[in-house]
This record gives sequence, structure tokens and C-alpha cells, in this order.
Amino acid sequence: MNELILMTHVLFGVGCLITTVWVFVETLNASETNRQRIRKMSAAAAWFMWLAFVIAGYWYVTSYRADKAVILKGPWPFAHSFFMGSKEHLVIMLLMLATYLPITAAGNLAANQDQRRVVLWVSGLMVLLTLLTEGDGAIIAMGVKVGLPAKLP
Amino acid sequence: MENTRLSKHTVSFGMALALASVVNGLLVVAKEKSPAVLAGMRRLTGHHWITHSVLVLGLFALGGWVFARAGGGRGIKLTASRLIGILAAGVATGGLIILGFYLIGD
Repeated sequence: MNELILMTHVLFGVGCLITTVWVFVETLNASETNRQRIRKMSAAAAWFMWLAFVIAGYWYVTSYRADKAVILKGPWPFAHSFFMGSKEHLVIMLLMLATYLPITAAGNLAANQDQRRVVLWVSGLMVLLTLLTEGDGAIIAMGVKVGLPAKLP
Repeated sequence: MENTRLSKHTVSFGMALALASVVNGLLVVAKEKSPAVLAGMRRLTGHHWITHSVLVLGLFALGGWVFARAGGGRGIKLTASRLIGILAAGVATGGLIILGFYLIGD
């Protein structure tokens, strides 16, 4: 069950990344024809991020303690002390940006250059933060993996 | 001619996001450095991270709502460059506080 939860949270994180890149590219070419698509994709990015956040949060609160013990006894304690510590808080900013994206994309982007610039900045920041937190997650998972042999007699 | 006016909620929630991002970073330092703060946050919801998330997200929502009601309900007027500067500075500051703290302060 834990593995399913972890894989689902990564899946939704990747979903957020893909839809955010989609919004970025469509906004560069904003017109009346893609106006609805930008709105739908920005809403999808927010939903994906909320799902990833809630699922990962549930796992972090209920199940992370065992993995944390393995990481701290293993050769990569920084996977917890730096990467998990920063990830669990950076992701809150990512969630706020994802929630903010549909608000910025609600206007007529084809006719408003300044509104387009804000959408590009917000989606650009989201892409950077999503890649950063996905990388953090990979290092945390590796921290558990390299820590497991250390537990063997 | 292009319309260059940002929507009221784009400005209000953008400013709230910048503010909440900085508070997010400061709250990390506060709870990690003060056992009393950490214990208090644990007591509120059962887990410090849940309390942390609720506080920061609540500030974002409340801040966006309050800023939208400024100026007699017309919201705060900002240029796009100014808003983007505030937004990027807020997110960068919050992120650097968190990364810097776990890199050297923890």
C-alpha cells in the first residue's frame, strides 16, 4: 500500500509538471483559439498538485518515520536532514503557486500582455520547483535504498 | 491596442503568495530552533507539518482576500513588472531561507 501511495504521488507530481509546461508553451502562443485550453490545463495543474500534496502528506505523517530511521542509520543521512527537510516545506510554496496559476490564467491572455507575463513567470517558477522537489524525492528514495543493507547483520 | 491591466485577484493573491512564502521559510527556522514552537505546532493538529501547512496556506488565502478588498474593494494596483518582482523575490527568499537553514543552520 505504501508503495502505491508513493508512486501515485510521483505520478500526480509529473502530471503537474506536464500540464504546467503545457500552460507555459500555450501562453507563449496565447490566442482566442487556445484560451479555454490554457484555463483547463492550469486548473489541471492545480488539481494534480493538490492530489500529490495530500497523498504525499498522508504518507509523510503516517509512514515516513520508518524510512527516516533507515536513512539516518545509513550512509546518506543528508537524504533526510537536508533533502526531506527542505522538500516538505518547498512543496508548500509549489502548492500555492499551483493554486495561483488558474487565477492568473483566468483573464484574456490573448489581449493582455502583462497578464501573459505573470502566467509565464508563475508557470516557470512552478517548473523549477517541481523539478527540484522531484529530484529531492529521488534522493530521499535512494537514501532509503542505500540505508537498507546497513541494517543487515 | 492591448489591455495591460492585471486582474484584481492576480495582484492580491500574487502579493499574498510572496508574503506566505517568506513566512513559510521563517516558520521553518522558528519551529526547528524553538522546541516550544515545535511542541505547540504538534499539539495543534497532531503533527507539526500539518499545522505548518495549514498556517501558510491559510495566510495565502486570507492575504489574497484582504488585499483584494483594499482600495474600497478595487484591490491594489500594481504594474506587471512590480508584481513579478515581488512574487519572484518572495518565492526566492522563502526558498533560500529553507535551503540555507537545512544546509548550514540545522
